[in-house]
Amino acid sequence: MQDIKTYMTPCSVGEAVKAMAAGGVTAFCGGTDLSPQVESGARQYTATLMNIRRIEGMGGIAEQGDSIRIGALTTVTEIRRDPLIAKVAPILAEAAEHFASDQIRNAASVGGNICNASPAGDMINPLLVLDAEVELARWQDGAVATRRVAMADFFLAPRKTVKRDDELLTAIVFKRPAADFVGYFRKSGPRPALEISTVSVGIGGRMSNGVFRDVRVAMGSVAPTPLRARNVEAALEGKPLNADTIRAAVAATSADAKPIDDVRASAWYREHLVKVFTEEVLNHVLGN
Amino acid sequence: MSLETEIKFTLNGRPVAVRVPATMKTLTMLREVLGLTGTKYACGEGECGACTVKVDGKTLNSCLMHAVDCDGRELVTIEGLKTPEGMNPMQQAFVDHGAVQCGFCMPGMIMQADYLVGENPRLTREEAQRGLEGNLCRCTGYTKVLDAVASVAEKKCCGRL
Amino acid sequence: MEQKVTAASIEKKSLIGQRVKKPDAPDKATGKTRYINDMVLPQMLIGKVLFAGRPHAKIVSMDISAAERLPGVYAVLTGKDAAGLKFGFVRDNVPLKEKVLCEHDEVAAVAAETEEIALNALSLIKVEYEDLPGVFSPEVGREASAPQLRDNFPDNKSLRFEFKHGDLAAAEAASDFIADDVFRPHHVTHCCMGTSCAIADFDNNGKLTIWTQTQYPYNYKMDLAPALGITPGDIRVMQPPVGGAFGSKLDVYPYEPIAALLARKTGRPVKVIYSREDEFRASPTRQAAIIHMRTGCKRDGTLTFRTADVLLDNGAYTSWGPTIPVIMMRTTSGHYRVPVVDFKAQAIYTNNPYAGSFRGYGNVQTTYATAQQMDILADKLDMDPLAFHLKNAQKSGEITPQKSFLRECVLAECLETAAQATDYSRKRAAYAAERDKPGRYKKGIGLASSIHNAGGAKIHKSDGIGTILKVDDYARVTVITGASEIGQGIDAVINLIVSEELGVPLEHVTIVNNDSDIAPWDVGVHASRTTFIAGNGTRQAARKAKAQILKAAEKMLGEPADTLELRGGSVVRDRCGTPLIKLDRLLRQMHFQAVPELVMVTDYYEPNSEPEGADHISDHSAAYSHAVHIAEITVDTLTGEIKVDKITSAQDVGRVINRMGLEAQTEGGIAIGLGYALSENMQLEQGILRNPSFRDYKLVTAPEMPELEMHFIESNCAEGPYGAKGVSELPTIVIAPAIANALFNATGVRIFNPPLSPEKVARAIYEKQQSGK
Repeated sequence: MQDIKTYMTPCSVGEAVKAMAAGGVTAFCGGTDLSPQVESGARQYTATLMNIRRIEGMGGIAEQGDSIRIGALTTVTEIRRDPLIAKVAPILAEAAEHFASDQIRNAASVGGNICNASPAGDMINPLLVLDAEVELARWQDGAVATRRVAMADFFLAPRKTVKRDDELLTAIVFKRPAADFVGYFRKSGPRPALEISTVSVGIGGRMSNGVFRDVRVAMGSVAPTPLRARNVEAALEGKPLNADTIRAAVAATSADAKPIDDVRASAWYREHLVKVFTEEVLNHVLGN
Repeated sequence: MSLETEIKFTLNGRPVAVRVPATMKTLTMLREVLGLTGTKYACGEGECGACTVKVDGKTLNSCLMHAVDCDGRELVTIEGLKTPEGMNPMQQAFVDHGAVQCGFCMPGMIMQADYLVGENPRLTREEAQRGLEGNLCRCTGYTKVLDAVASVAEKKCCGRL
Repeated sequence: MEQKVTAASIEKKSLIGQRVKKPDAPDKATGKTRYINDMVLPQMLIGKVLFAGRPHAKIVSMDISAAERLPGVYAVLTGKDAAGLKFGFVRDNVPLKEKVLCEHDEVAAVAAETEEIALNALSLIKVEYEDLPGVFSPEVGREASAPQLRDNFPDNKSLRFEFKHGDLAAAEAASDFIADDVFRPHHVTHCCMGTSCAIADFDNNGKLTIWTQTQYPYNYKMDLAPALGITPGDIRVMQPPVGGAFGSKLDVYPYEPIAALLARKTGRPVKVIYSREDEFRASPTRQAAIIHMRTGCKRDGTLTFRTADVLLDNGAYTSWGPTIPVIMMRTTSGHYRVPVVDFKAQAIYTNNPYAGSFRGYGNVQTTYATAQQMDILADKLDMDPLAFHLKNAQKSGEITPQKSFLRECVLAECLETAAQATDYSRKRAAYAAERDKPGRYKKGIGLASSIHNAGGAKIHKSDGIGTILKVDDYARVTVITGASEIGQGIDAVINLIVSEELGVPLEHVTIVNNDSDIAPWDVGVHASRTTFIAGNGTRQAARKAKAQILKAAEKMLGEPADTLELRGGSVVRDRCGTPLIKLDRLLRQMHFQAVPELVMVTDYYEPNSEPEGADHISDHSAAYSHAVHIAEITVDTLTGEIKVDKITSAQDVGRVINRMGLEAQTEGGIAIGLGYALSENMQLEQGILRNPSFRDYKLVTAPEMPELEMHFIESNCAEGPYGAKGVSELPTIVIAPAIANALFNATGVRIFNPPLSPEKVARAIYEKQQSGK
């Protein structure tokens, strides 16, 4: 057990990041990832334990101009049930539907799922498809400074992101998808939800007159980080979505997905599933 | 020793004030500090639901929740479902339908089941199956559990509860 | 004595076959039940175990001084403290090890004021190991070139079993078709929701009280004693409520003597409790095996012979696991009418975890082979499997080559019931016709059956049970019984039987079965025996009490005892139900008469079975039973995911006693079988468990449960209580092969090494398609 010197429950982003500037802060909200990681020894507490759940203005889902802003503390349950999300980004609600269990969904925050930076993080995949950005706050020159980072650039390695230790992920922001946007998410597993994804595939884009544009393809559990499948995207971008295009996209998955063997699946099975899901999701887009 | 913090919260309708280490989980606090052993440890990582409690009206795994985060909140445990008049309808239904065998997972299972019908009185059997996916049971095969939940949902739905 | 009759007549209402609630359910549903895991005793210390974490090693040195110095630590024990304390089936285990033979070997243990201090102390113990090359499969282990794990077991050979019957060469020559396959049932574990726990306390006379989760409190004393160097008589076994057992608590495992050794060293009660990870790594498994099976038949479908050459992964120590051939050979020789049998099994020591007993003991593995070979042969014969099964199904009165007497056998009825309920033959043919047509999702239907002991199994000198029954002045009945309750519901059955016999309300029966100093002897809760054995014991005891009561009533009422009955809390005239005296009043009159008489009877019930002998030819159970399962599934041929849509079961239950409990046992048994078939798998890599958590060791969850349709066939067993047979293991046994047969029906793919995981199924289908191209 680690010695914790300070426990704090900041009420504002300013209070939180000011403390984080001093270093040695372990932030938590639902604790659904942190607790088992500490228990297993994979992670250690630092001198300050910070409960960020009470920070004002870091929850809730709202429209801001042409964007949707999801506070980092928003729980997966809230996303799953939110009428705005259901309307503008059902792919996100779909991923929330297949996220762990009710008890975890009620506790886990979307910000925590992102910061945990697991290649299998289920909320990450649809947010990559939505081309979301994360908002990072820190204490600079006596005030809160924020920057935005595209989700696609956020992840460096398992449990490693570009977020600095003194930064707090405060929100996720994405442009309201166009009216002709379609997107679907698929994860593996015979269980409907309580399952660490063996593989997940999310695909979204604008579909008009049979042509697929602004295509974004996200994959989980096929590389050290969740990733945008640029080769699959290239195979689809601006093309009429038909059997040939789908075949090309499926073939392109092997250029993006570089899975490994682990306790959950072999690399062969993951590569196989990526192909199956890519085809399945694209057929969904086609309305088949 | 880790830093200790005093927290105050409502537990099964009564005010509680207690000092807990910052690293302690709510499950440990309930069982070892407050003596409420109805809530069970079975995995410690949120995979089995045996430690399910209700916090501010929503169920979660108390093995993952830091005890300090209970401060100012409202907790209900399996011990709090029973009223002076007797068992809560869900508890009664579990007994009547033979859903209890070894019973170890049942406090968590009943907390979650009670939450599900509270959230959705028109709960279907399929929704109950989904809603209980985070609660493992090794004895029952869930069938009688689902019978019990369905019976309560049916009564709720037609206003008999 | 003249009694004034005021009440209306009381009709005979039998409870047999009714739905009776478990008496402990209200406390369990409200969180009031104090499980062993919840128990705290005054002065109690917490014990923690240091596991080796490597499969095979010499312990070069161990330094416990820092741990001993840690404030709050009361004792640190190592292998030196347990030297010579050999225990186990073949005395090949010790509570704490001086040499490492498997990952979870217990190399040190600590008792401290709190769990946190105990864990800190463990982290301060410095052990230097010298790793040794290990043996991780029995196939490698039996080679002379393999590392020899034990001095006195050449080629790592542990237990061996053989059974032969009939002229094999002639039977082979007479066979038109032979199925010849190698099945590899895997390692799974019990996953009791309550993790392993024991609390030990010595008094100052040297007597040990141990609170444990054991399923066999009496022989447990005998098995625990050598691990502590004391005599069995000095052990008192307490059985608080437990969070499941399923066979995992049928032996002594090292944490129990460790708790006792720590208690002896500290003079205080010590509780050892496992974390879930400890539980995965250190509790027993289901026995893994390699089964080379051959089954022959004639062109008309008559079975000619069956052989099984079985290699068992003994693991590092010998618990119940490697004894499963005792049951494996019964299935090999008795699953359908098999005239010629050749069975041999050899267990090989490895550096893997070791197996105990697990619901369906040995039969889960064997039936996975026999029931698939029935399907394979039917396919070779181009015969509907149902017809093939019926052709070879035994009938009442038949005797198997091992002399199992199938007195009441309704296998054919079970087969027909399940097949009719599912429209099996038509669906099977239709799905097979669809098999090779295009389409991602394929439907399949599979039939499997098995045989199991249903009247105990006389593997000890006695398979009996002691019962003490008393009826007090208020007509409350206390049953003091050896029968253990582990969640299976013998409590409700005992209440039901007492109520049936003595005409008292269910709520007026109390069971005492948690203290070996009070309750009389029983073999234990295992082998689907408790309703059969304890049911008979309870009924006999209740009937003795009833005879005593009615004899007293005869004296007091002046009416012949054989015209009287106990009903509705009164003594009544049997023919008309006219109540003559309230039972409690009668009991008080018996008690306070000139020659006082209390109702307290004792009984020992011994089933009419024969002990399992060295030649394995004996009628070792008082009854045998069959079950048939039909699985209907949908296979996603791309992801390999099997969705089980429905399980239809037809089982010979003898007679339904408590319908609710019977359903519950069947449903739960099926769920364990489903996990075995589809998802549960201990992933061992060089002896190290890679998935010691529910995250990656996947039990069946609520949304995965299929629809269940259960048919209970009543064969009315002459020896069973009210005709009942034991029931709880067959539902687990028959599931996996039913699903495997359905998978073949759907896809033409057969998996010989369970579980039928999505990846395995997807790969097999993919490879079949590639080879077809």
